[in-house]
Amino acid sequence: MINPMNHHRIALFADIHSNLEAFAACLEHAQSQGATRFIFLGDLVGYNANPIEVLDHIMNLIASGVGIAIRGNHDTACVEPYFPKMNPIADAAITWTKEQLSTKHKHFLSELPPIFFEDDNCYVHASAYQPENWHYVTDGLSAWRSAEASGKIYTFSGHVHEQALYYQSSVGKLIRFAPHAGDAIPTGRHRRWVSIVGSLGQPRDGNPKANYALFDPVAQTMHFHRVDYDHLLAADKIKHAGLPNELALRLIQGI
Amino acid sequence: MFSLFQSKSPYSIEIEAVEDIFQEGKTVDGFFIEGQFHQGGMAILKNAKDIETNQQVLLKIPQVGKDQPIENLICFETELTILAALKSPYVPRFIRGGNMATTPYIAMEKVIGESLEDILQRQPLPFDQIILIAANLARAIQSIHQQEVIHLDLKPDNILVDAQFQIYIIDFGLAHHNRFPDLLAEEMRKGIGSAPYISPEQIAGLRQDLRSDIFSFGVILYEMVTGTLPFDHPQTLNGLRKRYWEQPKPPRAIRQDTPPWLQEIILRCLEPFAKDRYQTATHIRQLLREPSAVKLTDRAKKIKPLSFWQSMQRWLNATGYEPSEIPRSAIIYEQAPLMVAAVNTSNDDPEMFERMQRAAENIMRVFPEGRISCISMMQSSPTFEGPTEIESASGLYRNHLVRLQKWAAPLHISQERISFHIFETLDPGARIIEFAKDNDAAVILIGATAETPNRVVPWRSVMTKVVEEGPCSVYVVRK
Repeated sequence: MINPMNHHRIALFADIHSNLEAFAACLEHAQSQGATRFIFLGDLVGYNANPIEVLDHIMNLIASGVGIAIRGNHDTACVEPYFPKMNPIADAAITWTKEQLSTKHKHFLSELPPIFFEDDNCYVHASAYQPENWHYVTDGLSAWRSAEASGKIYTFSGHVHEQALYYQSSVGKLIRFAPHAGDAIPTGRHRRWVSIVGSLGQPRDGNPKANYALFDPVAQTMHFHRVDYDHLLAADKIKHAGLPNELALRLIQGI
Repeated sequence: MFSLFQSKSPYSIEIEAVEDIFQEGKTVDGFFIEGQFHQGGMAILKNAKDIETNQQVLLKIPQVGKDQPIENLICFETELTILAALKSPYVPRFIRGGNMATTPYIAMEKVIGESLEDILQRQPLPFDQIILIAANLARAIQSIHQQEVIHLDLKPDNILVDAQFQIYIIDFGLAHHNRFPDLLAEEMRKGIGSAPYISPEQIAGLRQDLRSDIFSFGVILYEMVTGTLPFDHPQTLNGLRKRYWEQPKPPRAIRQDTPPWLQEIILRCLEPFAKDRYQTATHIRQLLREPSAVKLTDRAKKIKPLSFWQSMQRWLNATGYEPSEIPRSAIIYEQAPLMVAAVNTSNDDPEMFERMQRAAENIMRVFPEGRISCISMMQSSPTFEGPTEIESASGLYRNHLVRLQKWAAPLHISQERISFHIFETLDPGARIIEFAKDNDAAVILIGATAETPNRVVPWRSVMTKVVEEGPCSVYVVRK
C-alpha cells in the first residue's frame, strides 16, 4: 500500500486576497498533511488588510523553489494602469492595495504568468480558455472549455469562490461534483478533472472557514479542505486599515 | 486500453492484456491466482490466495477488450471506489485494489453463502424464513445507506445468504456514493439496472434516492413470497414504465396464506412515488420483527388485482411522472429518526412521567416522520410466583406494559410509529444501549433520578451508563 505521507502532495491556494490569518492557517494545515509544493492560483491581493505580509511570504516560498504563483484579475488590477472597473467595493480595495505595494511587490505581481503547465497539471486563476479574460468556471460546459484549452489531465483554478470538482464522463462531458471537506476523492488519470479549490481569503458559501485543496499525484487523489482561522482578527484589521466595512462583514459571515 | 481521451491524446498507454495478467498460476500484487470462481456479464471472479496472510480471497477482474462495452470499466471503477470506502459486516471486506489502467482488480474477502436466487428456486419458502431473510436484508441495506451508499442494483443474484441467514450484499458496480463523483451519472442510457427490480425513479434517470433500494427490496420480498415477479421482466422502456402506475397483483391473490401485514409491507415498498414508501430500511426491519405495529391500509386487504377503473386512476396520477423530491441520504435518518424512550415503569413518579411525556411530545413534534420505541425493564422474574395473576411473571410483564402504554397514550402517536417493549434484565443500562444500537436510534430519552445521596438508586446508575456509553444523543429529563 502507498503510504500517503511518503510522497509529495501539492497544496493549492486560490484567492488569498491579502488575508494573512487565513493563509497562515491553511499553510500550517497543508504542511501537517504532507504538502511539499505550494501553488498560488492568483488573486493574491485585494479585499483584505495584509497584502505586503502575504506577498513577502509567497515570494519566499517561490525563492526557495517550492512555490509557483499565477496572476489573477485583482493582482492585474493593482499593476495595470488601465484595468476595467469591478464593483465599487472591490475597486476601493484595489486603490487601497495599490497604495500599500512597493515597487518590488508591484514588479513581482506584474511578472507572474497568467497560466502555468507542469507535468499533467495546469494551474490558472480562472478558465484556462483565454486565461486573461477571467471566464468563470461555474458549470459543466465552462469546465469543459477550460479542460479543452488546458489540454492537461488536471486543471486547477480559483476565481469562483466555492469548491467544486468537475469530472469527465465517458461521453466527454464534464459533470459538477460538490466535494465534502476532508474526503480523499479518487481522481484517476484516465479522466480529465477540473478542480475549483475555493477561496482561501474570502469564503462566500456562508461558512467563514478558509478553503484550499491538496492534490496527491501518486495516489491520484484530491482532498478539499476547510480550515478554521481567526476571521474576527482579519475582519478587525480591515476596519482599522480603512478598507470598506462590508469587506469585514463578509469575512465574519462568510458571504 | 482504457482512455477517455480523443485519439490524439498523448496519455493512452500501451499495456498488457488483462487476460494475460491474471492467468492461473501467476502472482499479481502479492496474490497467487487460482481458478475461476464465477463469470458474470461485466467481470470475472477468480479464486486467489493472499500470499502474505495465506487467506483465500476473491479477485474481481473487469471484462475488457474489443467486444466489451466501456460500461464494464466504469462500473468496475465505481465498485473499486465504493467498496474501498464501505465498512460493513454485510458487505465483503475490501482488501486492496489494483491500478485501474494497468492491473485492474479488486481483492475482497471470500464470503460463504448461497445466493438468494438459488434459495428462490425452492418455492414455496416458509414465511418464517422469508421474514428472517427480509429483516436481515433490511439491516444490511440500512448499514450501507448509513454510509451514504445507495446500491441501485439489489436483486436476488446480488444477495448472499449464509447458513445462519446472515446477509451479504455484493456487486456495487451500479451504486451511488454521496461523497464521491458519480461516474455513472448522466452516462450511457437511462435506467441502468435490472429490469424486474429497478425503481421507477431510476428508470427516469435518478440515482440519488436511497428509497430506490426500498423499491427493489419490495420486489425481492414479493418474489420470495409469491415466487413470481411483480412487474414481470419487461424488455422495452414502455414496459419498464408500467411500474409508474401499475399496482402488482396482490400477493394474497397468488399465495392465499400471506399475512395481510406482510402484503401491506410489500405493496407499500412498491409504491411508484418514493415519498409513499417506507422511508428507511430500518423501519421495515422493525415492522418485520413486530408485525403488530404495521399500520394496515387498503393495501393489506386486497385479494384481487385492481379493477380497470382503479388502474386507470393510477395511470392518470402517473401521467408526466415526476419522481418525488429527494431528501439528502444522510439526512433522511435525521428526518425520520427513532427515539427510544426508556420509561421506568417500576417507579411511580407522576411528575417525572409527565415531564418525560412533554419532552417526548416536543421531540416528536419536530419530526413528523419520527418513530418512538417505549421500553421498560423488569429487573428479573420472581422466583416464586404468587397466587394471583399480578404476582406471576406474565402478570408482572403485563403490568409494566399497561403502564408503558398509559405513559405513551397522551402523545397520540399513530400505532405504526410507536412500539412497546418490556425487557427482563439484570443490567437495564446495557439493555437500553443494546436496543438503541440494534435499532439505529437517533436519541434516547431517559429520566434523571432525584439526588438521593444516602441511597443507592439503581436507575440512576442506569442513566449514567446510558449517557456515557449510548450510541446516540441522550436526552436526560430532569424534574
